[in-house]
Amino acid sequence: MNRTSVCALALCSIGAIGAIVAFAAPSGAASKGPAAGKTVHVGVIADVTGGAGVYGTPQKNAYELANDDIKAGRIDAGGANLTFDVQDAASDGAQVVNLMQKFMTDGSTPLVLGPTLSGEAFKAFPIAARASFPVMGTSTTAEGVTAIGPSVFRDSLAESQVIPTTVKRTHDKWHYKTAAVIFGDDNAFTKTDGDIFTRELKAAGVDVVDTETFHIKDTDFQPALTRIESKHPDVIAIGALFPEATKIIQQAGKLGIKAHMIGGNGLNAPDMYSVAGPSAQGTVVGAAWYSGAKYPSNLAFVKSYTAKYGKGPDQFAAQSYAAAQIVADLVAHGATTKDEMLSGLRNVRVIQTVLGPIGFDPNRDVKSSPVILSIVKDGFTYFH
Amino acid sequence: MVAQQLLNGLFLGAVYALFAVGYTLVFGVLDILNLAHAAIFTASAFVAFSLAAAGVPLPLAFLGAAAVGGILGILLDRVAFAPLRRRNAGTLVPLISSIGVAIIIGAVLRGIYGVDEKHFTTGGLDTAPAIHLGPVTFTAVELTIFVAAVALMVVLSWVLRATTLGRRIRAVAADRIAAALLGVDLERTIAATFFIASSLGGAAGVLTGLEYNSVTLDMGSPIELKGLAIIILGGMGSVTGAVIGGFIIGAVETLSIAAGLSEWRDAITFGVMFVILVARPSGLFGKRALRQA
Repeated sequence: MNRTSVCALALCSIGAIGAIVAFAAPSGAASKGPAAGKTVHVGVIADVTGGAGVYGTPQKNAYELANDDIKAGRIDAGGANLTFDVQDAASDGAQVVNLMQKFMTDGSTPLVLGPTLSGEAFKAFPIAARASFPVMGTSTTAEGVTAIGPSVFRDSLAESQVIPTTVKRTHDKWHYKTAAVIFGDDNAFTKTDGDIFTRELKAAGVDVVDTETFHIKDTDFQPALTRIESKHPDVIAIGALFPEATKIIQQAGKLGIKAHMIGGNGLNAPDMYSVAGPSAQGTVVGAAWYSGAKYPSNLAFVKSYTAKYGKGPDQFAAQSYAAAQIVADLVAHGATTKDEMLSGLRNVRVIQTVLGPIGFDPNRDVKSSPVILSIVKDGFTYFH
Repeated sequence: MVAQQLLNGLFLGAVYALFAVGYTLVFGVLDILNLAHAAIFTASAFVAFSLAAAGVPLPLAFLGAAAVGGILGILLDRVAFAPLRRRNAGTLVPLISSIGVAIIIGAVLRGIYGVDEKHFTTGGLDTAPAIHLGPVTFTAVELTIFVAAVALMVVLSWVLRATTLGRRIRAVAADRIAAALLGVDLERTIAATFFIASSLGGAAGVLTGLEYNSVTLDMGSPIELKGLAIIILGGMGSVTGAVIGGFIIGAVETLSIAAGLSEWRDAITFGVMFVILVARPSGLFGKRALRQA
C-alpha cells in the first residue's frame, strides 16, 4: 500500500468514525431554552378506534414516537418536559367536542392537535375559535377548515393546494380531453376532492363526461365504474380515502378500464400497490408528503417509525410527527401558555420537519409544496 | 352496459341475500332481531383471514370460518338471549342485549387484529384474468362467490323443508309451546337455528371479504342496515323473502347507479322498499312464511 493510499484510508476512516458518532449521538441534543425544566402537556384528539381508527392510529403512533424522541433529545424542545397527551375520540363527533372542551378547560393544555377528520374539525374548531384557543389540524384537509377562526391552523396541505397541481402536471404530460370524477359525497374530505377535481379539470379545458358518487365504507364500485367506462374518459379522478380508493382502482382494473387514474392525499398510503394490485401501477397521486423524501429528519422518522411499529408510516403519521416538531420548536422558543402558542404559531417563519421546510400563510394554512407521485410496484416514485 | 350492470347487481344481491337469510331465520323462530348478526359476519371474515394466512386452503378456511360463526351464534344465544328468554323479557331487551354483544365482539376483534385493513392471500385467485362473456366481464372470485352463496341458500331451503331439524325449526317458529308439548327440544332447536343462521352470516362475511379482498372492523355496518331492510321487504321471518329481497336491493342499487343517479342510490333503494311496503305492509312474502315453508 503506498503512502497516498494510506492517507486516503486514514481520512476515510476518520470520516466514517465521525459519521458513526454523529449518527449515534442524539441528532439534536436538547438545548436550554426559555422553557427549560417546565412541563408542557399538549392535547391530541385522534380517532384511535371506530370507523376512522385506521387513520387515527398512525397519528397516535407518531405522537408516541415524538414523546420518545423528545425525551431522547432527537426532537429539541429546549429542555422543556414536552409531552403529547393522545385521547381517543372513537370516531364520534360528540366525543371530539367533549375532548376539545376538556382540553380547553383543564387549565394545563396550551394547544390542541387534531381531530382526525375534517367533519370533526367543523364541529370542534368553532368552540376553540370562539375562545381564541389555538388548535392545529394535521389531517383536516377540507376547504374552509382554517376559515373557522383566527386561532385555527393546519400543517396538512389542503386538497385545494394539492389537486390543482396534480391536474396541471398530469394534463401537461398526457394532454387529455375528457375525464370522469368519482368521489365520496358523505365525507367532507372526499366531497372536497370531488368538487376541486371537477373545478380544476373544467378550468383546464377538460370535458367532465361523468360524475359518480359513493358513500364511505362502500365496497362495490363496479356499477359506477361500468357507467364511467361507457363514457370512455381519458382520465378518472378519484376523491377517496385509502379503503375505497384501493377498491376503485382494483375493480377498474378488473373491468379492463384503461383510463389514467389520478387522486389526492387520500391515495398516499404505503400499501396502495400491495392492496390495489397491478391496476394501481401508474396512478398519479398528489400529496403533501413522500415517504422516500431525502430530508434528514424524514429518513430518521421513517426508519424509527418502521422499527417501532413494524410497518412504515403513512401521511397521517408524518403530518402528526411534523406537528410535534412544530410544537417542540415553539416550546424551545419559550411558548408554554395558550397565548404564547398562538403568538408563536402566528410568527412561524420556516421550520424543518419531516414534510420538509414548512411555515404558515396568512390564512394559517401550511405553506409548502405538494409532491406529485406515481404508484409503482412496492411504493411510489416522483411523477415526471 | 345494462347486461354488465345486471350481472353486477346479481353478484351484489347474492351476498346480501345470504346475509339476510340468517337474519330472518332467527327472527322467524324467536321473534327477535339479532343485531349481533353483522358482528358475527365480521368475526368470521377475520377468522377466515387468519386461517388463510396460516396456510389453510381457502375452501377449508371458508368452511372453518363459517363453522366458527355458527359456534359464535350458539354462544350469542346462550349469553345474550337464553337468560332473557327464561325470564320472558319480551322482544326489546334481547335487541339491546344483542347490540351489547356486537360491541364486545368488535372490541375483541380490534384487540386481536388492530385497526388496519386485512387482505387475503387468495392463491392468485384474485389476480386471475377476468372472464369476458359477450358483453359482460367477471372474475373467478365473483363467480365462485355467487355459486357458493346460491348453493348455501339452496341447502338451507332443503334443510328447512326436508329434514327433521327443519321440521322442528318450523314447528318452533309456528308455536313454541305446542312444539314443546309435541316433544321438540326447544333449546336444542333454537341452538341449531342460531348455528345455521350465524354460519350463513359468517359465510356471507367471508365471501364479502374475499370479493373485495378486504377485511375490516367496520365491514358489517353497511350491510347491517341493508340486511334489516331486506328482511322487512321480504317479509319478516321469510327465508324466500330474504333471498328475493336481497336480489331486489342489489339490483335496485346497481340500476340506480347505471341510470346516473349514484348520489340518490340509497334514497331510491329505500324509496322502492317504502312503495312495496305500502302495497304489502307485511312484506313480499307476508308474515310467518317460515312456518309454512
